Parts: sequence; structure tokens; C-alpha cells
Amino acid sequence: MDAAIRLQQVTKRFGKQVAVNKLDVNVPFGSIYGFIGPNGSGKTTTLRMILRIFQPDSGDVFVLGQRQGAVADNRLGYLPEERGLYKRMKVRDILAYYARLKGHYQCRRDIEDWLERLGAAEWANKRIEALSKGMAQKIQFISAVVARPKLLILDEPFSGLDPVNMESLRDAVIQLRQQGVTIIFSTHDMEMAEKMCDTIFMIFNGNKVLDGTLDAIQAKYPADRVRVQFASIDQPLPKLDGIQDVGNVGRFIEFRMTDPAQSQNYLRQLAELGTIRHFQVIKPSLHDIFVRIAKPSELTAETSTP
Amino acid sequence: MRKILTIAAREYRAMVGTKAFLLSVIMMPVLMFGSMLATQMLRKVGETKTLKLVVFDGGNEVFAALQNSAQRHNEFVTNLAGMPTEDDSSIAAGMAGMGRGEFYQLERAAQDVVDDEERLRLSNAIRDGELYGFVELPPGLVDVENPAGVALLYSQDSSIANTRSWLTAELNQIVREKKWSGSFSQNEIERINRASSPVTVSGMGLIEQTIDGQILKATEKNEMADIFLPMGMMMLMFMVIFMSAQPMLESVLEEKSHRIAEVLLGSVSSFQLMLGKLIGTVSGSLTIFAIYTVGIMVVANDRGWVANVPTEILPWFVVFQVFGVLFYASIFMAVGASVSQLKEAQSMLLPVWMLLMMPMFVWLLILHEPLGKLAVWTSLFPPSASTTMVLRMATGQPIPLWEILLSLLLLIMATLMIITLASRIFRVGILWQGKVPKLSEIFRWAIRG
Repeated sequence: MDAAIRLQQVTKRFGKQVAVNKLDVNVPFGSIYGFIGPNGSGKTTTLRMILRIFQPDSGDVFVLGQRQGAVADNRLGYLPEERGLYKRMKVRDILAYYARLKGHYQCRRDIEDWLERLGAAEWANKRIEALSKGMAQKIQFISAVVARPKLLILDEPFSGLDPVNMESLRDAVIQLRQQGVTIIFSTHDMEMAEKMCDTIFMIFNGNKVLDGTLDAIQAKYPADRVRVQFASIDQPLPKLDGIQDVGNVGRFIEFRMTDPAQSQNYLRQLAELGTIRHFQVIKPSLHDIFVRIAKPSELTAETSTP
Repeated sequence: MRKILTIAAREYRAMVGTKAFLLSVIMMPVLMFGSMLATQMLRKVGETKTLKLVVFDGGNEVFAALQNSAQRHNEFVTNLAGMPTEDDSSIAAGMAGMGRGEFYQLERAAQDVVDDEERLRLSNAIRDGELYGFVELPPGLVDVENPAGVALLYSQDSSIANTRSWLTAELNQIVREKKWSGSFSQNEIERINRASSPVTVSGMGLIEQTIDGQILKATEKNEMADIFLPMGMMMLMFMVIFMSAQPMLESVLEEKSHRIAEVLLGSVSSFQLMLGKLIGTVSGSLTIFAIYTVGIMVVANDRGWVANVPTEILPWFVVFQVFGVLFYASIFMAVGASVSQLKEAQSMLLPVWMLLMMPMFVWLLILHEPLGKLAVWTSLFPPSASTTMVLRMATGQPIPLWEILLSLLLLIMATLMIITLASRIFRVGILWQGKVPKLSEIFRWAIRG
């Protein structure tokens, strides 16, 4: 068993549409593996194949060493993107239910521990419909981990959470990882993915477009972005040759240089406009890379990039 | 297997452990048998009302006699109200409504002929509630050679009123006696009346023999056993199926729209999920059956009807119920998985409802001929087999065993087929988001598997 998950040349079609095309992925044991990609790119289909909800049309899906299976392994935990709880059930009952469905029958202790740990103990006898969105999300998280999975699939686990709750959940994830749990983390929040994931995998139109550590990915993209701040906040950016993707990100203006070697040249031109507070040449963030790949206008240019 | 039972247990609790369930267990019989009970109860409460009628006696011939009849009727009602009404057959009589709770107060109009202006005045008085109605008796009612055959009753409810039947019966008697009085003496008329007293025919049950050879005395049959029992059995089957299939639809819809299905399918296969849900639903249906059976036995015991309850068909009832519930719950499950809102499900379920309700439209025909062609065919047709078969069995007629077994066999085969097709639809549909698939698409899921 070399990897927690290994996909080999996996293809899945729905009718004529190819949802996932000859995908190869290796998720090492004990890692946090970021799954990113726009909506409808084949992310959920891939997750469902790992969960054995779907069977691939061709190729192999190895999960925790198992090649085939009609049902997801009891060692898998899954947190779906939205909801996934019976409204009328009580918190403790639904957690016990999900634990038992994973074959974890002596689950009382684990349930109480987790409720305690995430500060939800007083909600144990409440019905799901009485919970706030953030509280329901915590319960959903517990339902995914209560059966002590070896492999945890989290689809947007932090949506709807305030910073305090998000932090406690993130700590829980990190701790699980330290205990040796392999975590697949699917998200649209690129900053979160940058911070948390050892490896990042991006799927687009059913094809793998990125796979590697953040450093390795960024290394493939030159430092071609400039971040500028003028003393006057209203200073507009004039039309300059060779820049694109101009965006106002709050206090800063950012743009992308077609030729990174020209950065000093741009600095001089901008200095003539007004006082510059900040000028920095930066690597493209994961967000930038994501947008570059997924933006329709750049589709042809970028999908060929390994 | 343990996972399937875990699912079944949850499904069962979700179905049975709610206030809505308790409410529907109580409400269903109330809705179905409510009108019958209400009639009986109202009669028991003994609320009587006085109906005031103005009579135009055009020929000045019958008013006095009619007045006497009203008097007799009123005395009869007064006595009846004081009497306990425990006999079963009075249920039917009560339903037929013999006008037992009505007093008639007749008042002769000032003039014997009536014109349209007067009719309008009286009609307005009726609308204002000062009067119940008025009666026009034409001259010549008692004319032997050339009788006027029609009297008119004007009231808000004249076409369905008990008053009309009462008037018809009384007028006929009065007019007949008056006509005879020209040819016969009073004595002779009384003899004729006695001579023409009606004969009633009592319906009797068949003679049975006990194990030790003793021949049991035949008992008088009553409507309770012959109509209400088979109907009650059929209704009970219908209710149990309905009350089991509906929650299934709702639970599948919840699992689908709240993406619970995704979590569940991350732990069990779609077939395990479906099986668990069906087991839970069947258990729920058996609970409903148990509640009603106990309820019926308690009432029957209280009323002394225990002998009428056909305990020997209860095992058959359970078997037909289990497969009937499986049959319809699977369909509801497939429909629930195909749509995303209850509203969309309803239009799709319309033909299914028609199938389930079909026996309701023909039950009287089947009741009259439990061994007839219609009865046999509807009980062999799987969608209506459960309801029709118990209806037929409850009539007490000798249904050939092969018919029962064939009906059951066809039902089991149809159920297995429906479960197979439904599981294919369920597997695809439960994860299907977005627009509602076309019917042709759903059929494709079912066929291709």
C-alpha cells in the first residue's frame, strides 16, 4: 500500500458527456490533499468514485489499498458540501446513526467527546432544525469523523462558519492529520487551500490541470504579478503596454505583466503618476492560477500547461 | 445486514415516532367513517327540531287527517328520544334518516287556494327562517274516478327532505282510506288494513356445526356484518397502504433535497439503503395494523360484535398488506427519488393513486358478487389485489383457495419486479439534482439498470 488513494487512468461518462477523463492521482498517507476546481469540472464525480457511489467506466480506483468495492469502506468519513442532516432528528441520534452506518456501534463515548470538543454538548438533544447554520456544520463535521475514519473527505467544511468556529474546526482537522488520518480537502477558498494543503490537485473540464505542492505549482508560473499602492487611493491606473488582469483588490491594485523582466520599467512609469507607497513583484497566488486556468478566454492557452 | 437494520430502525422511528403519525392514525378513520358516526351520534344526542308547515288544502279533504298523522308522528319521536338506541340495525336506519328527530307542526292556510303572490310571500318567510315549508294539496286528491296525483312541497331542501318521504307515506294512507270509505264501512277498512300488513324478510346466516357435532342455531344477519365489515376491511387495507407509502415519499424527498442520500451512499449501497427503508416502512405498516386491530377488537368486545370479526382472515390480511405496502412504497420511493419537490411528485403520483383507489369505485359491485368476474379480475390484478381480496374474504363467501394463492403469487411477482425497477430509478434519481427528469428518462433508468 503505497498511497491512501490511487486513481489510475480513471474515466467516467454520463451519457455522451465525459465527466472525468483519464485521471491519475496519488494521495499519500497522512497528507492533506487539496482538491480544487470550478463547479461542474468533475470534482464531485471524482469524490463520488472514491466513495464508491459511482463506479468508473474505465481505470482503477484504489482506496486504502482496496481496488474494488460496491460500498465505501467503513474507514472513510465524508462531509458533503451542503447539509446532509435529517431536519427532525436530534443531534445525538443522528450522530449515532451515521456512526453505526459506518459499522461503529459503540459510539457513545466518541459522540460525547466530539460534542464537548467543538462546544456543542448543550445541543445534543436539540433537533437539527433548531440549529444555526454554523452549528449544523459542526454537527455535520462530527458525523464525518465520529466513526474514526482513516481517510476523511471534506467538501467545503468551513462554509458558513464564523472565524472562531472555523478555527476550532481547522484545529480539529490538523489534529486528525497528526493522528495519521489522510484528508482530502475540496474547496473554493484558495487561501485556505494554500494554508492547509500539502499538495494541491486541480481538475478542470474533467482533466487534471494541476497536481503538486504549492511551491512546485508556483514554480511553474513566473513571478509576473505586480501589487501597487498609491498614496492617493483614487489614483486610476492608466493604460500601459503589456499588462493584463488589472484588478482593484481593496487597498491595492494588482496586474499581470506579460514580460516579467519589465517590472522596473513599470515602476518608473507609475512613479510619474503619483507617490507610490508600495510596489511589489509577487508570485501568482493559487487564486490567480485558478482564475487563469478556469477563465474561458485563457482556456486554450493554459490547459496545455502541465 | 446490520446496517440494513440500522436504516430500517431509523426509518421506522421517523415514520411512527411523530405527532403527525399519531394524528393521522386517529384522523384517518374519523375522516373515513366520520359521517356515519356523526349521524349516529347526532341522533343519540337527541336534538329534535320542529318544522312548521303551512298547508293549502285545495279540496278541503285531507288536512284534518294529516294533522292527526303529524300528532302521532310527534308522539312517536318523543318516545323514541327517551329510549336507548343500542340495537345495531338502527345504524342503518339512522343513516337512512327516517325523520326521527323532527316534529311536524302543521298549520292550515287562511285560504285554500294559493296564488303566486302568496307563494312568494311564504317563500320569503321560509328564507327568513320563520317557516320550514308549505304544502299545496290540489282538489280532487281523493277523487276515485279522476284523482289528482300530485301534491307539492315547497321548502329549501324539499328534494332530499325526510319531510317529503313522511308526507308521501302519510298522504297515500289517508287518500287510500278516504277513497275506500265511499265503498267500504269503517270496519271493513280496518280489516283491509290488517289484511294488507306487510311481511318482513329477515336475512339469516348459514347453519354451522361445531367440532363436537353440535348444530349451531342460525343467527340473524345484519348490515353491520354484511356491509360494514367488508367495507371496513377494505378501508383498513387502503389506510395502511396509504399511511405507509406517503411517509416513504417524504423521507426520500428529504434525503434527496437535503443531500442526506450522499452521506448515506457513502456508507451503504443504494440497494441496502432501499431495503432498509422498505423494511422500516413495512414494520411501520404492521404497527398501524396492530393499532387498528386492537382498537377494533376493543370496540367489538364492548358492543358484543366479537363473533362478527373474522379473525380467520387476519393472517391473510397481514400477508396481503405486507406485499401491498412493499408494492406501493417502492413506487413512491422511485417517484420521490425522481423529483425534488412534493408538488412535482403529486402530478406523477396521480395514476398511482387511481390504481390504489380503483377498488373504492367498484367495491359495492364486488360486495354483491364476491365470486363474480369483476371480483376475481380485480383481485388478480396486483395493484388492486390487496384491497379487493380482503374485501372479498370479509364477505364470508367461499373464495376458492387457488384464487387467493394465485392473487398472492401475482402480487409477489409484481412486487419483486417493481422493487427491481424502483431500485434502478432510486439509484440514479437520488443523486440527481437540477431539473426534473422527463418520464421517458426515468423509464430509461428503470429499464437499463
